[in-house]
Amino acid sequence: MAPAPYLVFDGVAKYFGDLEVVAPTFDLAIKRNEFVVFLGPSGSGKTTLMRMVGGLETPTAGEIRLDGQPIDGPDRDRGMVFQSYSSFPWLTVAQNVAYGMKYRLDMTPERKQRRLAHYLELVGLADFADAYPNKVSGGMRQRIAIARTLAAGSDVLLMDEPFGALDAQRREDLQLELRRIQRQDAKTVIFVTHDVDEAVFLADRIIIFSKRPARMLEEIDIAATLGPDRTLELRDSERFFKLRTEILKFVRIAAGHEN
Amino acid sequence: MMSKATATTVSGRTSDIVEQVPPPRAPAARKHMRNQFFTFRGNLSKHAQILTSVCASLIVIATWEISTRLGWINSLFLPPPSVTIETLWTMITQKHLLLNAGISTLRVWVAFAISVVMAVPIGIAMSSFRGVGAALEPIVDFIRYLPVPALVPLSIIWFGVGETTKIFLLWLGTFFQLVLLVADDMRRVPQEYVEIAYTVGARPRQMLTDVAFRAMLPSLFDNLRITLGWCWTYLIIAEIVAADNGLGFVIWAARRYMNTSEVMAGVVTIGLIGLLTDQILRLVHKRLFRYL
Repeated sequence: MAPAPYLVFDGVAKYFGDLEVVAPTFDLAIKRNEFVVFLGPSGSGKTTLMRMVGGLETPTAGEIRLDGQPIDGPDRDRGMVFQSYSSFPWLTVAQNVAYGMKYRLDMTPERKQRRLAHYLELVGLADFADAYPNKVSGGMRQRIAIARTLAAGSDVLLMDEPFGALDAQRREDLQLELRRIQRQDAKTVIFVTHDVDEAVFLADRIIIFSKRPARMLEEIDIAATLGPDRTLELRDSERFFKLRTEILKFVRIAAGHEN
Repeated sequence: MMSKATATTVSGRTSDIVEQVPPPRAPAARKHMRNQFFTFRGNLSKHAQILTSVCASLIVIATWEISTRLGWINSLFLPPPSVTIETLWTMITQKHLLLNAGISTLRVWVAFAISVVMAVPIGIAMSSFRGVGAALEPIVDFIRYLPVPALVPLSIIWFGVGETTKIFLLWLGTFFQLVLLVADDMRRVPQEYVEIAYTVGARPRQMLTDVAFRAMLPSLFDNLRITLGWCWTYLIIAEIVAADNGLGFVIWAARRYMNTSEVMAGVVTIGLIGLLTDQILRLVHKRLFRYL
């Protein structure tokens, strides 16, 4: 028997005033520990869908349930990586990352300290621990946000183009690492991007969106072809290229370039 | 440059060679600095800035001194700086000027402290909770536009001519301005900061104290510094109308005897207190907000 869905979009629609952002009705069921990538043109309402999971927006119609409970406001079981203003300027890099654990009364100070050191190292910011964010680059600031969200230890990770501002090498490292963490710590991830390579490499399943209002155009099971383990070698494989080409075709249709 | 060029033609061929020699570094640096002076957001060294400030102030003082000395201005109406400073000294030594300045400063700070203690929480509440904002904004806007001097008669009827009236007038002049500035500071805290706090599990109260308040602090500090300056304006009004001590009283009493140099000395004292306070607060700002 298939496992019960963990995160469920049930008849969701979203309007901002008269502006239709998510077309009625959006339905999607995400399994526990699944890595789902939302792929589609910019401004297509993907971010809004993710913000609704985060509890930062309320659906106009329908509801989103996590583990059977309707989502009602933000909490730390759903961690989010924001694109802009992603770190506090008055805290140092290390303090910013540690802020993710500030309200975790269940962790001892020693454990928090260990986690802090681990995640600083992971995102390559250990050398900048005591610097203020205005002294580091935009890409580093983005990594602060990633480390903070990982340190917070949420079960669900909501990531809105988190690697957008990073150089190619760091991006690849973090993609590998994110996938490893997701597998090892059994995280459920929704990841928004418009980079097809990134989508194929990371995803168990890709959802391709139309232009606004957001509508699901295509659903591709990547795990069925690539399996759960992702390595750098996989990136150069025949299977990977085939998938990528296929998905690029869908993306072009979504963007309205292929008539 | 012009005179140099003319000199070359006059002295003939030999100096052509001199012209080929690259100019020494110092004039180049000076020229660079002159350019930076009028470059939009240009770079000017700390020293050059201080030097400019001092020179500009000296020019103003010198112009003032010279124009009264030469009789362009009747020194009965505008005593020269030298006389003002002399009077300032006699007032300090013989007329308790420092005591009066101290009394005025104390009044300003007491009233300012009351305004701040009230305005910060109320301002934050106004922009944090729509209901509070909707309820208070019209009232605050109405009172904010009333000129403080127009309320002097009322406040004397209410509180007599004692300290309460002065503190009340100062509070009136600053609280209603400050409360809106505080509300604006809070409103400008990026929504992303608030969302970061909530998604790592902060309760609303924790979000307010740990994030929103912390984020607004630098601009709040700036607004407090500016509002403190306004306090002095209202203080003088209050002390002119109803006081027997303080700088406003000193100035107003001197006016009665046409003693312009004492009036000037009183005014200069206020200016100096303002300058000193502002410099100290700037320094504190720099210390507190190193991360900016």
